[in-house]
Formats: sequence, C-alpha cells, structure tokens
Amino acid sequence: MSEAYHPVGPGLGLEENFLSLDDILMSQEKLPGRAESALPRLAFALGQGAGTGDSIPEQSKLEIPLWLAKGLHDSKRRIISVELPKIYKEAWRTVFSADANVVDLHKMGPYYYGFGSQLLNFDNPENPEIAQTILQTFISRFRRIMDSSQNAYNEDTSVLVARLDELERALFQAGQKALNDFQCWEKGQASQITASSLVQNYGKRKFTDMDA
Amino acid sequence: MEPAEAEFLAEKELVTIPLLLPYSCLQFIFQGDLGPFNPGLPVEVPVWLAINLKQRQKCRLVPPEWMDVEKLEEIRDQERKEDTFTPMPSPYYMELTKLLLNYASDNIPKADEIRTLVKDTWDTRLAKLRLSADSFVRQQEAHAKLDNLTLMEINTTGTFLTQALDHMYKLRTNLQPGESAHSQDY
Repeated sequence: MSEAYHPVGPGLGLEENFLSLDDILMSQEKLPGRAESALPRLAFALGQGAGTGDSIPEQSKLEIPLWLAKGLHDSKRRIISVELPKIYKEAWRTVFSADANVVDLHKMGPYYYGFGSQLLNFDNPENPEIAQTILQTFISRFRRIMDSSQNAYNEDTSVLVARLDELERALFQAGQKALNDFQCWEKGQASQITASSLVQNYGKRKFTDMDA
Repeated sequence: MEPAEAEFLAEKELVTIPLLLPYSCLQFIFQGDLGPFNPGLPVEVPVWLAINLKQRQKCRLVPPEWMDVEKLEEIRDQERKEDTFTPMPSPYYMELTKLLLNYASDNIPKADEIRTLVKDTWDTRLAKLRLSADSFVRQQEAHAKLDNLTLMEINTTGTFLTQALDHMYKLRTNLQPGESAHSQDY
C-alpha cells in the first residue's frame, strides 16, 4: 500500500531539484558548445588531450555536460558558449508541431522536457519558441499516455513505454498504479493481508546466526 | 485515496434488511441508535452491519431500489446519450454493487445482469472523464467543473491527472521570462 520511500521528483522549471535523482541524471547529458577563450591545461579534464599540460585553444568545439555548462556560463566572462542540441533546433521543432506522437522521445535523450527547461537558462534568442514547443509536445502526447496507462492491465507494457521519455514514464506508472489498485480492489484482494514490499527483501535471519 | 478507503466510506450507507432469525433486542451503537430489531420486520441499518449479519446468517438483504435491471438500463442509456455526467442513484454505486453482489447475491435477482449493467455505466463515465481531461489539457484551461462524479471515479484518474497538470504548470511558467536564474560572480 505505501511505498518504501517517496522519491523527490524532478524540478521542471529553470531550477533543478538538488535532491532529485532524475535531475542529477538529466544534467549529465551533453551539450555542444565552443570555448570562447583558451582554457589552459584543461584539455585532459574535458576529454580532448592526452597530457595534463595541454590546453584547449580558442573557438574549439566541445561537448560538455549540462552541469558544467551551467556553472561556466556567464555572459560577462565568456568562458564557453553553448549551442542548442539538434532536437531543440528549428528542424525538429517543426516535426514536433506536426505530430508529436510519432517521435521516439526516449531515443532523443531520455530527458527531453527536463533538459529543454534547463536550456532556457542560457540566453538564446530562440528560447520562447523552445518553451512553447516543449509545452505543446507534452499536451499532444498526454492523451496517448493517459489512454495506454489506464487500459493496459496485466499486459507487457514495454512496447507502450519504449517511446516515452522519463517524465512521461513516471506519469505512465502513476496511471498503471491507479488501474492496478482498482482492479485489485474489485477482485477483493484489497482486504487480503500480504507481506509488505519492504520486508520481502530481507533475508531470513536465524537466531543462531545472530548469536555467532 | 485507495479504493479500499472509498469502500469504507461507502459502508456507511443505509440498506434495508428484514431479519430472518429471532434476534429481537434494542441495539445502541456508537453511531446512533439502531433498532429495535424485531424478527421478520425490515429495518434500516448501515451496510457494514448488514454484511456482518448476513455472513453470520442472521438476516436477509433487500437490494436498494435502484439496483434493478430496468432502472440500471435506463441509467446506462441516459449516460450514453448525454455529454455530461448524469446524477447517479447513489454516490457510492460502484462500491455498493461490489459489496452487495459479493456477499448477498442470492438475495438479489439477476445479479449477473446487474453487474454487467453497472460495469457498462462505469466504463462510459470513465471514458467521458478521460475525454474531458484531454480537452482540458489541450486547451490549457485554468478551471474545470464536473458535476455528479463519484469518489471512486475521481480516485482512479486523480493521481495521474494532478501529476500531469503539475508538469504542465511548470512547463507553462517556463514561457514567462520572469526573473533571471541565480548566477554567481566570482
């Protein structure tokens, strides 16, 4: 009935939730960028040189994770500049506005919505369109998630879930849970006592083991 | 809220039972007075007590007046015609159907047909609920009002809908530039 713990959800706005595992994994995704000034002795850290003494020359292309990009991004000091990953660019935006349901969002980076919201942190003239596209994509895919999660009882859902990104998968789980709870109640299993999921994972301990 | 909790609340509803065996005594129970219980005369008690007595074979159950094939067919057809939700005969119709048909199906005529009819009505109502949720999200409305929904239906779609609307709200606030994100100057 109750869960073992309540996970902290991802913060979906311009700020991430510090304690959310989803946000931590999401910020590991890489962004294409460019070094605006020479970065002495950092080639090794950024994966581009063999020796510890190599530096990255100006204007060279880099792939940096989001957490690093957010930290280094500063319009005054100009250390790096970031570009949009291709799914947030114009070409893909028109695909999303045509029909968002056919896109495999899991392949496109499993954190489409979260990552897109974080991209709005960087100053970019296309920000309003990106925000609008993300919102519209969510709205158009909502119906399909709702229908599939509330109607698939006791089936293998891997086909349905394969094309959803992580946020949508969490929603799908919520819908499935509601459905399973209802079916379980209707069959009368709600009043049967079952072992809690917390306890099922404990190995059986015998008294002799504890004494030894 | 879980379905079991909704069922618990449903058990407060009153149902009529004519007593079978001599069991005449005045009963005072914390919720209020019940009784007097005279054998053979029907009396109204809450469902939880009725189920208990029935399991101990001390009474017979009379189905509520709406649990009847023609009435339920009427309700089902009306539900299918209308776009909005029709008022249901009892705000706990789903739970009562399940309880009464599980424990007292011998007292209820045509139990299987009743079960099918109630299930049909339930499916229609849920489909309407999903449709209106979808149009709500699609048009990004701020406020919606749905009459005549029962607790069980709200439970089934509630968690999913509130989570989805939370996400949508956060994505919508992204649209406004607002104050800039915190930045640290070294």
